[in-house]
Amino acid sequence: MTEDLRAAEFSPGLEGVVAARTAVSEVDGANGRLIYRGGYLIEDLVPAAGYEETAYLLWHGELPDKSQLDALRREMVAARRLNESARRTLESLGPDVDPMDMLRTVLSAQAASRSLTKPSVPEAVALTAVLPTIVASAYRRRQRRDVIEPRDELGHAANLLWMMDGKEPATERIHWLDSYLVLLADHGLNASTFTARVIASTGSDLASCVVGAIGALKGPAHGGATYAARTMLDSIGSVENADAWLREAHAKHARFPGFGHRVYRTYDPRAKILREMAKTADPRLHQVAAHTEEVALKILHDAHPERPNATNVDFWASVVLTGTGIPKEMFTCLFATSRVAGWTAHVLEAMEDLRIIRPASVWVGPQPGQKPVPVDKR
Amino acid sequence: MPDYVPGLEGIVAAQTEISLVDGANGRLVYRGYVIADLAEEMSFEEVAHLFWFGHLPNRPELDGLAAELSGSRSLTQAAAAALDALPKDADPMDVLRSVVSVQGVRHRLEKPNIPAAIHVTASFPTVLAAFHRRRQGLDPVKPRPELGHAANYLYMLTGTEASPDLVRALNTYLVLLADHGMNASTFTARVIASTDSDLASCLVGAIGALKGPAHGGAPSAVMDQLEQIGTAENAARWMREARARKERFMGFGHRVYRTYDPRAKILKAMCQRLNPRFYDLASRVEETALAILHEEHPERPQATNVEFYSAGVLQAIGLPKDLFPPTFAVARVAGWSAHVLEQASHNRLIRPQSEYIGPEPRKPVPLAERS
Repeated sequence: MTEDLRAAEFSPGLEGVVAARTAVSEVDGANGRLIYRGGYLIEDLVPAAGYEETAYLLWHGELPDKSQLDALRREMVAARRLNESARRTLESLGPDVDPMDMLRTVLSAQAASRSLTKPSVPEAVALTAVLPTIVASAYRRRQRRDVIEPRDELGHAANLLWMMDGKEPATERIHWLDSYLVLLADHGLNASTFTARVIASTGSDLASCVVGAIGALKGPAHGGATYAARTMLDSIGSVENADAWLREAHAKHARFPGFGHRVYRTYDPRAKILREMAKTADPRLHQVAAHTEEVALKILHDAHPERPNATNVDFWASVVLTGTGIPKEMFTCLFATSRVAGWTAHVLEAMEDLRIIRPASVWVGPQPGQKPVPVDKR
Repeated sequence: MPDYVPGLEGIVAAQTEISLVDGANGRLVYRGYVIADLAEEMSFEEVAHLFWFGHLPNRPELDGLAAELSGSRSLTQAAAAALDALPKDADPMDVLRSVVSVQGVRHRLEKPNIPAAIHVTASFPTVLAAFHRRRQGLDPVKPRPELGHAANYLYMLTGTEASPDLVRALNTYLVLLADHGMNASTFTARVIASTDSDLASCLVGAIGALKGPAHGGAPSAVMDQLEQIGTAENAARWMREARARKERFMGFGHRVYRTYDPRAKILKAMCQRLNPRFYDLASRVEETALAILHEEHPERPQATNVEFYSAGVLQAIGLPKDLFPPTFAVARVAGWSAHVLEQASHNRLIRPQSEYIGPEPRKPVPLAERS
């Protein structure tokens, strides 16, 4: 195959290209359904299973029974602590460093090891278990406060809130966070999951895949969107202000963070669940957000009646996380805390039929063959 | 739904002017220049300039870039502390991944830019040399600003100036490996860049991809295999037996080239000159491997790839096996960063589709009722 010179069709963003076969999740955009491994619709799973159960499902293909769940919980509890290299690496970073940079770096250090290991479920469990510890430590450093040790009797979501605040978290906060973590745990071949699968395709280790995925998630066009949505809501501030703010922004061709998605052609099923939760999680912000949504959808529809300009998960996630008491600069880290289950499940799945992902490119540079001129004659 | 394309083979994922892998004609082209015309003529710095700025530098431009690179070689305080915190027996690729991540931390998101590319490219050799010395119980060697990129890397590793021959060899290796179309690590960097993330995140991801044995790990695997074969006389017997056990020959086969890899050709000649012991064994192994592979699949163009003779060149330079993959990264970071800049300049989120092969929707069973 002569890849580059051939007049092959270039599909920007690989839109419409099928890059993997997966049983981990399915984004059924046409019908507005998100299906997790095993065939469970997200709206059925959220009331039935917590984050640990969902992670088990994504890794093993089936929901755990009581003893399997207990075993997983014990395994995760045992893997929550930072090792010496991770702890010292964290301490080397300034407190104001972007928390996603802290997460990327400290996870890389935590996983630095002597030899290459093949991705495995125990490793997926360990990485998933330690992520909240890094996130909470990054937050505490940012606050110039001491890091708080994990508490073994607390579940994944509750322990994260504990390590962030050092206070016993209220039951409803745990519920909101746990639901958020279930909702965001996987979503087809999004850019960070795809990054993890490309890295896995070279035979690399699981930590390298996750570290790469964190870097991709950091981008404002991906995981950074929740932060952007909340920033927009902050700057709108009140129900009364929404109309004028949005029309002005639209006139300046600004995009509305939290709206639009490449896959869904209907309302994002995760956004629907979060919108409902937002009512109790943060009633005041919910009001502003609900009005903002209404106006934004109308403006977008008037501008492009042919486009399905639906609200996406980032918009309502920003409200629920706010109600849970998560500061907005930690939103993307929270997203990573959830998605790591999906990333690792995808890598484990890719192991079954490993083939290096090496697409083609099309050459748009100068005609090959010109001779270089020596430096002093240029 | 369109068909699933394993490995995205043949799918065009980017338009690029940085490098062209012209597989049919066995040419590798950097921004219009054929690699054979650059490899032994240009310094790594000139090629990096070509990638980042789009043209070969004139004298003042080259001096300017060289000064910027040599001025950016030291590690940040945080990076030095992190380097010190990592286990001494860690895989150097994990060390590079972690310390590059530390060097790249910022208070807020920074768009990829050329000064950042220069800075990070300058720091790779420092990270590796400092780690390599540390694990031997030696103090780091301060970079020497008057030395070029290749010469200074060797100097920081050993504390003594390397011979011009070896500096030249490393420079040629760095030029040859500096870019190669849409390989897996470069593609990783571009996917990460497509979310509008920062340069360090792209490079950290690319290092992770390069770590894989099917990508940057290959030259070390070549060395392992040659060590097992041991002698030229042993080659034919060992290799036939290995084949009977369905083992792969390391350093052969490439998805794109249909002729001899132009980089392998240059590295082979260098091996012959610099590492005759390696060459005697390797060339016999190559001959045997190609014969066996041809018998098995006469229709396939089973050519020697760049990893095979890279191993001999890097050994001649004096690098231990586990520094082969990260030294590949020392070269490729020029290409990675150029691709990130290119991707960022006309960006669109890279988000392919997947084909669902799981069960049809069904209801979850409550925890207490699961068996």
